[in-house]
Amino acid sequence: MIVLLLGIPLLAAGLFALARGRAATIVHAVASLGTLAVGLVVTTGAVRGLDASALGGVLRVDALSGWMIGVIVVVAALAAVEAPGYAREGSPRIFYPLFHLMLFTLLLAVSTDDVGLMWVAVEGTTLASVFLVNFERTRASLEAAYKYLLICSVGIAIAFVGTVLIYYAEAVRQQGVVEHASQGLRWTTLLALGPMLSPRVLQLAFVFLVVGYGTKAGLAPMHTWLPDAHSEAPAPVSALMSGVLLSVGVYAILRFKPIVDASAGPVFTRRILIGLGLLSLAVAAAFLWNPGNYKRMLAYSSVEHIGLVGLGLGFGGTLGVSGALLHIANHGVAKAVVFLLAGHIRAAYGTVELSGVRGLLRALPLTGRGFFLGVLALMGLPPFGLFTSEVMIFAAGFREDQAWAAAAALLLLVVAFGGLLRAAHAMLFGPSPGVAPSGRWLTAVPLAVALAALVLTGLAWPPGLAAALELATRVIVR
Amino acid sequence: MTTITNLLAFFALAATVLLVWRQSWRGRVRLFMVQSVILGALAAAVGALAGRPALLVVAAVFLTVKTWLIPRVLRRMAAGAPLRPVRPGRSAGIPVLVAGALVVVAYVIMLPISALSVAALPTHGAIPLAFAMALIGLFVCVTGRDALGQVTGFLVFENAIFALGVVATYGMPGLVEAGVFLEVLVIVLLMEGVVVQMRREHDSLDVDRLQELRG
Repeated sequence: MIVLLLGIPLLAAGLFALARGRAATIVHAVASLGTLAVGLVVTTGAVRGLDASALGGVLRVDALSGWMIGVIVVVAALAAVEAPGYAREGSPRIFYPLFHLMLFTLLLAVSTDDVGLMWVAVEGTTLASVFLVNFERTRASLEAAYKYLLICSVGIAIAFVGTVLIYYAEAVRQQGVVEHASQGLRWTTLLALGPMLSPRVLQLAFVFLVVGYGTKAGLAPMHTWLPDAHSEAPAPVSALMSGVLLSVGVYAILRFKPIVDASAGPVFTRRILIGLGLLSLAVAAAFLWNPGNYKRMLAYSSVEHIGLVGLGLGFGGTLGVSGALLHIANHGVAKAVVFLLAGHIRAAYGTVELSGVRGLLRALPLTGRGFFLGVLALMGLPPFGLFTSEVMIFAAGFREDQAWAAAAALLLLVVAFGGLLRAAHAMLFGPSPGVAPSGRWLTAVPLAVALAALVLTGLAWPPGLAAALELATRVIVR
Repeated sequence: MTTITNLLAFFALAATVLLVWRQSWRGRVRLFMVQSVILGALAAAVGALAGRPALLVVAAVFLTVKTWLIPRVLRRMAAGAPLRPVRPGRSAGIPVLVAGALVVVAYVIMLPISALSVAALPTHGAIPLAFAMALIGLFVCVTGRDALGQVTGFLVFENAIFALGVVATYGMPGLVEAGVFLEVLVIVLLMEGVVVQMRREHDSLDVDRLQELRG
């Protein structure tokens, strides 16, 4: 099943070399539906506690992987619905294969047990998406693509230093000959060996891993590529990047945390993650008060939410980690919806400048309302799911004796809230120019369903969600 | 084994420092190749002396990628670029001093780490040297004034991480090494695509001209 899940997007990416025109759109639709269906089956199995593995254990899906796979396939399906419109404007022969290749690398990163292969997959996500960022081939998108490629490649190379150090720690465990445990880079092996590894090496490795994968995750101060790439990429790619690419970076850090904690104690990783989380919140809060461009505004809102996820992981405990995981899912869906709607707004108004968009609610009633709801969700207001996960994260902060950090984060959250509210107010209300709505009503259905699901996770959890979240959390917190 | 790996790692570090000092483009690419040849030899030496035949294969692939494929792409990228990576009139003295300081920093960070394996690893002495190369590569990358300079820095950094993997762990697992080589190659090819477009749009590779996106 895991092989099938990874095989569909990879095969599709290859098939686009043969398929042209309508055939390409059909391949895209079939592959996207197939990935969604198989992904949901894998997720359902995994979050019920049925671990699956394939290819001699290289691929392994536990409840945490299953959780991430679920988020990835749902966000990817939302993005895929909107993709044909963007692909037709430019070159579908570039767009479709890279879109599915990116999906393949994202899924591989969360479903492999080998931390070396995970590194290869995370780097692969960058390589697959560089040309998607530069899809419009303007000066600005070229600049964004260059920064994205360089900063993320350097960042991820730093994470490789961390991976080498982990492997080193695993080898020098016994003084004597250098002999790696069989499959010494497997996460399961490392977790079992954790308490025997040198804390000093692991701490140094963790610093490199956090800086490296944190670059990918968009944690401040390594976030500098993020607003450019998110604002220049076509909307479905922005949705995929903001919704799941960042979370995959967080996922990588999350996998290493219990290994380091087992050897060096939880205080070290906690301090780093809380510090970076607070810094991300501060950077985002400052910027959200003066955004010039609404796609950049959404990108900084992603920095804010990734900062919150980092805080949740830093606070730790069952509550903190499950809050962070739930926040990853909620934010992924909400941000994908809002980025896709921002694509509609851009198509209608012909600008990404905040000052160019006025009277959205009257000009584009459907898109405008959806955008309004999406932004409310991103502000963390009830009844949306993000409110629940934020409450969980802050409750974890107070419970784990991190009251000062939690209070500071709350304050920054209020500042960010105000900035986002001000900008959204300016866009939504006011005199409306005569603009023609774009997109068909059919594409609005998945977005509406996604928004409804967000309300659902805020009001009452569907059956099985609590159990799934608990199992996924228990992979990390024992 | 300790002597030969320390010596090779030291030569590679010397090549890295020379690369910081060297001003002309062709010279920098040549020094990158020299560094790669030395590191390939280092990997082969560790493979032969420690009885890891897989490392010999990795060394052969490393040499093919780093001294043949990548320099070819780099030369294509450099065709038409300004010949000096540093503005005329600015000396390379300070960067070389910084590189020296980075070697000290590398020893401060890595000596306690490599000391853990004095008995286990004959190559332990080369760990801080490889780490120093990594820091210098990172420094060249972040201070690079144009796209070519930044790419060179990245490649030096990447080479150094390979060396770190060889001396600290006798090479990463084969699947991972293969993935790394493939991705470095793709990165350089993507960079070439970006650089070609950059030259068409801006008529220069100066990253100071990339300033449409702010905030």
